[in-house]
Amino acid sequence: MKKAVIINLSPRKTGTSMMLATRCQTILSSRDYLVEILHLYPNLKDMSALLVAVKEAQTIIMVGPCYIDTYPADTVYLLEELEKNRDVLHGQDLYGIIQGGMPYVHTHESGLKMLELFARDNGLSYKGGFVIGMGAMLNGQPLNKLINGKKVEHGFELFLENVAKQEKSSSTLYYDAQLKIPVWGCYLMAKMMNRKIDKQRREKGIGDQEKSPYDKPEIH
Amino acid sequence: MITILSDHTRHEIGERLDRELRERKIEAEFISLADLNVDPCYSCGGCTDKTYGQCIHRDDADIILPKLMRTDVLVMVTPVKWGSYSFKTKRVFDKCAIIGDRHYYCKNGELVKGKIGRVHTFMAIGVKDQWNNDERQVFKSLVEENIKIMNIQGNAYMVDDSNLNACLESVVEGLR
Repeated sequence: MKKAVIINLSPRKTGTSMMLATRCQTILSSRDYLVEILHLYPNLKDMSALLVAVKEAQTIIMVGPCYIDTYPADTVYLLEELEKNRDVLHGQDLYGIIQGGMPYVHTHESGLKMLELFARDNGLSYKGGFVIGMGAMLNGQPLNKLINGKKVEHGFELFLENVAKQEKSSSTLYYDAQLKIPVWGCYLMAKMMNRKIDKQRREKGIGDQEKSPYDKPEIH
Repeated sequence: MITILSDHTRHEIGERLDRELRERKIEAEFISLADLNVDPCYSCGGCTDKTYGQCIHRDDADIILPKLMRTDVLVMVTPVKWGSYSFKTKRVFDKCAIIGDRHYYCKNGELVKGKIGRVHTFMAIGVKDQWNNDERQVFKSLVEENIKIMNIQGNAYMVDDSNLNACLESVVEGLR
């Protein structure tokens, strides 16, 4: 039986990244894999459990959110720790999954490129990844709730097939699934989301001209 | 106002840039990340649900973010790891979303977000012993995405031993 470790790079234990991790686990478990999901954040102070799991695995899958165009800061810390403990790396297959709020895959793709460079420097076999836009909107709900849910579902299933067969996965899968938004659609989406943001502010009694708490003298 | 946010790098690039600007009477605030500790963004939603626009966790972001609120030009000096910002730099950047304009805008036919505070220019200086083409491309692309999503202007600079002085000069020129 092959071993795979899925590392949840999100600080949240429930949410879209975890939903994707669980999907991954379900598919791989049905394909003769022994799969373990580990959360990064509870292990930040002591990485030993993560290091053991990585060492024992033949396949590593990193799943996480996109914060300002790439994975969160602590992903870099994880990669640095793996590099420091290079004995746990022995040519495993590495796959990445990244999901973020913006609908475009180019916004989030830098995260996968970072994993690819890490793999190259550390003798791992980077086999591709999957990018999902509008992941924040999902908030842990299944992929079919996305506007382009059908396409994303299809692409993600093909990606998981690649993972199960230890094959390279092409970026075409997530580019093909990307939501194509016409210019008028952008304006409409911006208007709808801004209306929601403004409503939220009004409900909290925050006026349009109110300064950020970090722009007030008492916090300096 | 120009703010230099600098993680520790070889040749102390951030400190050198600060000195260069002072010598030319260009006002800048220098923030060294060396002795500051910023915790992760836990994505807890507290900055929306509990204290709108403010992180509910107390750490040195409380020192950095007010300074960034007064900044027009943000210069980030960071060691580069696999085409990305250093861990300490990225922790600050992750929290910058709190002071970012939450509204969406359309630019070049795509959705973008608003500025961080009033920052209108972002300059990212990535530092490595030696760059290779792939990593150069990945870092440049990341910075370009940052500039695009913040709907501002800016540039990526890639410094190593071969171009240190020329690169610093180019940054200083860009800040004049």
